[in-house]
Amino acid sequence: MNPTFGSILIKVLAGAIQSGTILLLPTLGEVLTERSGVLNLGLEGLMLIGAFFGFLGAMKTGNPYVGLLLGMAAAAAAAAIHAFICVTLRGNQTVTGLALAIFGTGLTSFYGDRWVSQRLTTPIKPIAIPGLSQIPVVGPILFSQDLIVYAGYILVALFWFLLFKTKVGVNLRAVGENAKAADAMGVNVVGTRYFWTILGGALAGAGGAYITCCIHPYWLNGITSGKGWIAVALVVFAMWNPFNALVGAFLFGGIEAMQLQLQAGGTYINSALLSMLPYVTTFVVIIVATLIVRVRHVGTPKELGIPYAREEK
Amino acid sequence: MLRFEKRDKTPVRLRLIVPVCSVLLGLLVGSVVMLFARVNPLRAYGAIVKGAFGSAYTFSETLAIAVPLILISSGLCLVYRMKFFNIGAKGQYIIGAICGSYLALFGPATMSRPLLLTLMMVLGTLGGALWAIIPALLKVYWNVNEVIATLLLNYIASYILWFFMYGTWGTRGFPLSKNFALNAQLPRILPAPSRLHIGLFFGLAAAVIVWIIIRKTRFGYETRVLGDNERAARYAGINVFKTVIIAAIISGGLAGLAGIAHTSAVLRILQLEINSDYGYTAIIAAWLAGLDPLVAVGISVLLAALEAGGYQIQIVMRVPFGIVGVIESSILFCLLAGEIVTHYRITLTRRLSTPPGSTPRIGKKCSGALDERARGAA
Repeated sequence: MNPTFGSILIKVLAGAIQSGTILLLPTLGEVLTERSGVLNLGLEGLMLIGAFFGFLGAMKTGNPYVGLLLGMAAAAAAAAIHAFICVTLRGNQTVTGLALAIFGTGLTSFYGDRWVSQRLTTPIKPIAIPGLSQIPVVGPILFSQDLIVYAGYILVALFWFLLFKTKVGVNLRAVGENAKAADAMGVNVVGTRYFWTILGGALAGAGGAYITCCIHPYWLNGITSGKGWIAVALVVFAMWNPFNALVGAFLFGGIEAMQLQLQAGGTYINSALLSMLPYVTTFVVIIVATLIVRVRHVGTPKELGIPYAREEK
Repeated sequence: MLRFEKRDKTPVRLRLIVPVCSVLLGLLVGSVVMLFARVNPLRAYGAIVKGAFGSAYTFSETLAIAVPLILISSGLCLVYRMKFFNIGAKGQYIIGAICGSYLALFGPATMSRPLLLTLMMVLGTLGGALWAIIPALLKVYWNVNEVIATLLLNYIASYILWFFMYGTWGTRGFPLSKNFALNAQLPRILPAPSRLHIGLFFGLAAAVIVWIIIRKTRFGYETRVLGDNERAARYAGINVFKTVIIAAIISGGLAGLAGIAHTSAVLRILQLEINSDYGYTAIIAAWLAGLDPLVAVGISVLLAALEAGGYQIQIVMRVPFGIVGVIESSILFCLLAGEIVTHYRITLTRRLSTPPGSTPRIGKKCSGALDERARGAA
């Protein structure tokens, strides 16, 4: 069959879901981290750590899923540093996050140097869901993907339910909105913040590892190319809601897939301008999202970035 | 159990001990990371010191790297004091380099050297300032998070440079401009091969001026008040809008100046790699200096030594340059962790002790509640 416009579109959209999942996982994690009142700007570093250690694990064991788990564990460990400095030691969260980004970039380019351009021969393969993948158009786009994409769908639903429909979610939001009140109610503020910061780190690591264990199964220094920062911006776009995070991430995945398609298609659009597109879009989006949040007063956890000290009045 | 009391003033002793310990711990973390890669840390640090301070020439190279760090970090000291977290120095540096280079590459060839160089520096400064005004305006008008905005502007600036280098500014399809004419080269101050240039004096002047602004002017005082408490600053009649914009212009302008000075004096060519990551290193310098621009001069030289040595060990020992980022960020982590002792007085109290005058301890189970009550009474 000749490639028709329709089949190309389906391919692009399926690619958009994959690229979107790279952004979705860290964005989801950061939504929850920020809901608990901790701002982690180090997603870029965490994603790189996840990407590198994921790749390393997959190369050493030959199993990309083991790699993915290793990447998540490494990023979670790095996020624990952030939690320790920001929660226990009440350090400046903005600068700590920045340090984390520099740390991840430096660490992975140091250890990754000898792995540059080596390929993973056993990347994660797509698994079509029987039945659902047969649905025309929707099937090949949404349900002929790999397990990580499906995990993304499930996590969105799970976290939405958790955040808005369960006691755990109420406590989590209370910690981010008013830590003192939450503490008085008997919620473990420190524990909550640690848990969601570390979990957010693991998800950022998963996003990074998904790149190297599946989409681009090789290692390059700085392979995440700013996706961590885009994810931080997407959290504002999502107004701290997991479902909006899905919309935002897939929208950005779409921009990226379109850009790749245009570049592969040999269009005469300047490649520098094309590569700039996601960052410019994010820049516009963060402005618009901030304005909407301002008008509608939704989302932003009130004590985001403010350390909690029980003894202070 | 530990008790935390907020300090009014940090003792000078601690303000020295914490950064020194942070540097030592940062180097220790670097060693551990190197050991995992089977690199001998002592040899690596030895090579770094040699590569940075080994001879008059290497030291002058270290100073050449310190110049942009000094320029950028002194501006950052000002904006960070008012808690405007401009991390866009990288982008401001790039835009400054592009704007200044435009004159160098396409300016009138007949212009005299001092005039051309002055115009290039001014244009570079303006370019950097412009790139910093954007997030500052977004911050004061709409409260857009400046960290995300400045960071995205870094990427956008990088691609603007790409656009020009792969476009009309490149030569024969390579992303390299033509060499700067002698008239467009900022003078170096030592005989070749040293690349140390008169930008060093710009840097020192900037540090002193920003120090004076912070310590001796009303504006500097206002930035401090604004950083401590924005609401209080508004009630006190401080024009938040004006203060943020001016500080952003100063810090962006200095980053832009750093970009064009480095390009014009050290590289003498515009290319994709113009060492714009100094924009991130300078953040660490400013923070390590406790946001004091004069201290930041010294710290900049130390970090420049690390960078210069880092280039050396990459060439000589094949140790990847990433180790520099690991060491720098670890120093920053330790410094941030150290804030707990600079901001709080920590005393160790026995958990089950009963303060005089309170109800005596009844049983182990109640002690927590009693402790709580005693603390409330205190």
